Amino acid sequence: MSPVTFRSVRDLPPMSRSADTMLWNRTGSWRFLRPRYQDKVAPCAEGCPAAEDIARVQILLGQGDFEAAWLRIREENPLPGVCGRVCYHPCEEACNRGEYDDPVTVNSLERFLADHAWKLGLTPPPPEPAAGGGRVAVVGAGPAGLAAAHFLRRLGHEVDLFDARDEPGGLLRYGIPEYRLPMDALAWEVGLILNDGVRFHGNRRLGGDLTWDELSGYDAVFLAAGTWKPAPLGAEGEEHARDGLALLEAIRRGETPEVSGKVAVIGGGNTAMDVARSLLRLGAEPVVYYRRRLQDMPALPEEIHEAREEGIPFQTLLAPKRIEPLPQGGFRLVLTTMEILEEDEGGRPRVVPSGHPDVEVEVDAVVTAIGAGPSEGVPAEVAGGGGLVSEGLHLKRIAPEGEWADRPPVFVGGDLVNDRKAVVTAIASGKEAALVIDARLRGRDAASIWPSIRVGRRGGVSMNRYLGGDRAAQQDHVVRYDELNTIYFRFQERRERPRITLEERRTGFDEVKMRISASLALKESERCFHCGQCDQCDNCYLFCPDVSVLRDLRAGTREINYDYCKGCGVCVVECPRNAMVLEEEPR
Amino acid sequence: MRRVLEGSHAVSHAVELARVKVISAYPITPQTHIVERLAELVADGVLDARFIRVESEHSAMAAVIGAASAGARSFTASSSHGLALMHEMLHWAAGARLPIVMAEVNRAMGPGWNIWADQTDSLSQRDTGWMQLYCEDVQEVLDTILIAYKLAERVSLPAMVVLDAFFLSHTYEPVEVPDQDEVDAFLPAWEPTEILDPSDPRAFNQLASPEYYMEFRYKIQQAMEEALRAHDEIDAEFGQRFGRSYGAVRRIPCREGERAPLALVTTGSVTGTARVAQATLREKGTDVDVVKLKLFRPFPHEEVRRVLGPYERVVVLDRNISFGSGGIFAGEIRAALAGLDRRPRVYPFVAGLGGRDITPQTIESIVARALGDEPPADILWEGLKL
Repeated sequence: MSPVTFRSVRDLPPMSRSADTMLWNRTGSWRFLRPRYQDKVAPCAEGCPAAEDIARVQILLGQGDFEAAWLRIREENPLPGVCGRVCYHPCEEACNRGEYDDPVTVNSLERFLADHAWKLGLTPPPPEPAAGGGRVAVVGAGPAGLAAAHFLRRLGHEVDLFDARDEPGGLLRYGIPEYRLPMDALAWEVGLILNDGVRFHGNRRLGGDLTWDELSGYDAVFLAAGTWKPAPLGAEGEEHARDGLALLEAIRRGETPEVSGKVAVIGGGNTAMDVARSLLRLGAEPVVYYRRRLQDMPALPEEIHEAREEGIPFQTLLAPKRIEPLPQGGFRLVLTTMEILEEDEGGRPRVVPSGHPDVEVEVDAVVTAIGAGPSEGVPAEVAGGGGLVSEGLHLKRIAPEGEWADRPPVFVGGDLVNDRKAVVTAIASGKEAALVIDARLRGRDAASIWPSIRVGRRGGVSMNRYLGGDRAAQQDHVVRYDELNTIYFRFQERRERPRITLEERRTGFDEVKMRISASLALKESERCFHCGQCDQCDNCYLFCPDVSVLRDLRAGTREINYDYCKGCGVCVVECPRNAMVLEEEPR
Repeated sequence: MRRVLEGSHAVSHAVELARVKVISAYPITPQTHIVERLAELVADGVLDARFIRVESEHSAMAAVIGAASAGARSFTASSSHGLALMHEMLHWAAGARLPIVMAEVNRAMGPGWNIWADQTDSLSQRDTGWMQLYCEDVQEVLDTILIAYKLAERVSLPAMVVLDAFFLSHTYEPVEVPDQDEVDAFLPAWEPTEILDPSDPRAFNQLASPEYYMEFRYKIQQAMEEALRAHDEIDAEFGQRFGRSYGAVRRIPCREGERAPLALVTTGSVTGTARVAQATLREKGTDVDVVKLKLFRPFPHEEVRRVLGPYERVVVLDRNISFGSGGIFAGEIRAALAGLDRRPRVYPFVAGLGGRDITPQTIESIVARALGDEPPADILWEGLKL
């Protein structure tokens, strides 16, 4: 490049401008800070026990690629149709948008994607055959067992899935009422798992015809038989009460239990809500009795809310003391009045009798829903909890001592071990079990893998990361609200999913929450900040003063042209979602 | 098509007819109606343009500089303090030789805070390298926007179309709105030659050493001189196509074919008032020729000398003031006449600052003073409450 000399005003351009290209001027050499694209962890992903890549799912959903979004969920959770209906959605509590206006309705969007796949009859690609797999027995075909079976199969193992009941699904099938989880939606999703080649064996009860001798023939066992044994009420005459779970199971089996008139439902958990609301739909008049206050109930707030919407009365600070049969039929239920002690232990305050007179009510039936213990046939080491060692956030193992020393490793998950007994934590158990068993059978050290596949510091483990997928490249930093550039967002109302009318809800088992439309899903998904994930908004491209953001529009990727990037950092500052980072230039 | 339009909306219509591609502006009274309407036209898809929202007038000017650098016909509008905030960027637009057109609504500078008509805001930008065209009525405002684009693109300089606050911006008048195809024929798409192109990166507006700087300034002056000729040509072409032309300087004689003993030089909407006063004075036996000055930059020295030189007395009516000197138009006119051997006596009146009404009676009073025994002065105040 030879310098140009202007001799006269006629040679000069109209304004001060270089005579030729400036490509030779590699302004990148001036740089001492280097911007870089860097995916990070969105708080929703950390909040999800199943570690779903929610921000990426929302990006795909927003692009209209509903199938890809659904498959992206399924990488981490084989039951999005179930979770999109019954999950307690801790993702939404973690959502950064909650600090802006209201969290994104991740839960209803998850259901939208699953239902879309269901209605279109989409099927995931079959598992790729993998050498060196083992034989694994999974005991219990609830969400934990189904998840374990699914992931083990996908990882190339032979899986026998046993359950005490005739059909797979566990609590999903036999405990959750139709109006929350329709049977056909469940059957579709369970079918996809079985289609991968999981062998299901129904009516095989542990401690019955399923013996430890038989299970010892496997390379590993995952035990997730759930908690079906009713807890004792501890009240005089409790033999007159009916078990709520059994009642729900009977309804799910298509039976019409003979309950009518005024029914006392004892308890404050989700089962109590399910029982009361099912009774209402059968034509009875349920009343919920709970020993603590409304705000102390362990049931999901929206379940309590919907039960009250449906007109079910709640009586609180009343503990059952005695159930007396009445000569004319029905029962007298005597309840002790309780009061709250100030100290607050483990989130729920203690209650003690208040000393006020007992309350007596005459009812046609008493149904208990006060929690349940480990199912029949579960070994004492598990039931008592004393013989277990921790293997993960949602996973334990029977200590290989005594008779267990000679048996294959037995991992325990789901409601048998989880503090928070929920569908999604059960799924997390199943995934952790699959990962630990796979690592073990392939001679890898699970404990050393664990830190690299945990999403965030408190989150679940990612199958995508375990398999070396794109999430493995994510910086394990959870994006905080104050790290977003919210100037690029605007307030938009959260769009709750529509529900059927109260009249319909009171008289039938139709699903209460309706599926949202594609246009509503797209609008709601638009609210997602996509924390830490590039969604090709192109702010970097627009702001770059050096035209140094190179786009591959077909691949949907961006890269920085370091030949000319001066490292001003405007791209990083203007990135709304913290999907870039500015680092000191290596010297 | 004849329509009754608010002055501000006449600007918006003209911008639409000019097929402007990028608009950026920041609201300020009395300019806001112009860009409000444009924002609506863009939002409704009527005008195929980008409206860039900004946080200040400085950024608005920077945005249209960027747009014009990339080859897009660009528009902005401002007034008073908004224009003052643009000052740095005004120099930049001219130095970069970008044919941006701005509607500038004359409004007084504060303090005291005042939103009414006063020309000091635009005249303060005299030396930025922008062309300035002052309009008498709403029709002229619409026409001048179209003329300004053609002129700006011809000589590669930015142009300010100046209209009085409220007297023009907020007044509804019947306006002949030309058809789009006629405007397209008069004002085809801009075909820039020196534009930003990322595939052929050049350094723009970079350092110009003492070795070259003066030559770039010379080129701007050359362009201004060329603009004087180009304006007359374009104004004439506009007249042929649309039946209306305005001239850089236009003499409005009291009696056709005769010269009155006094010429009254006016700018902006005051010219309309002067026309009324001229008729009244004539009935009362006083002949006054009105000389309407439209072009302030480039300044039509030759034309001013030709038109005003033969008069005995010239009144210049300034709705503005350069503190420490006087009326700004008067200063320029006196400078232009200075080279003549025989010069008219110039009466430099300042009136109507900050939107005070200049009525026909104000003008009659000024004329009486100039034809009476008013002693020579460098500044004469009219209507001052002494």
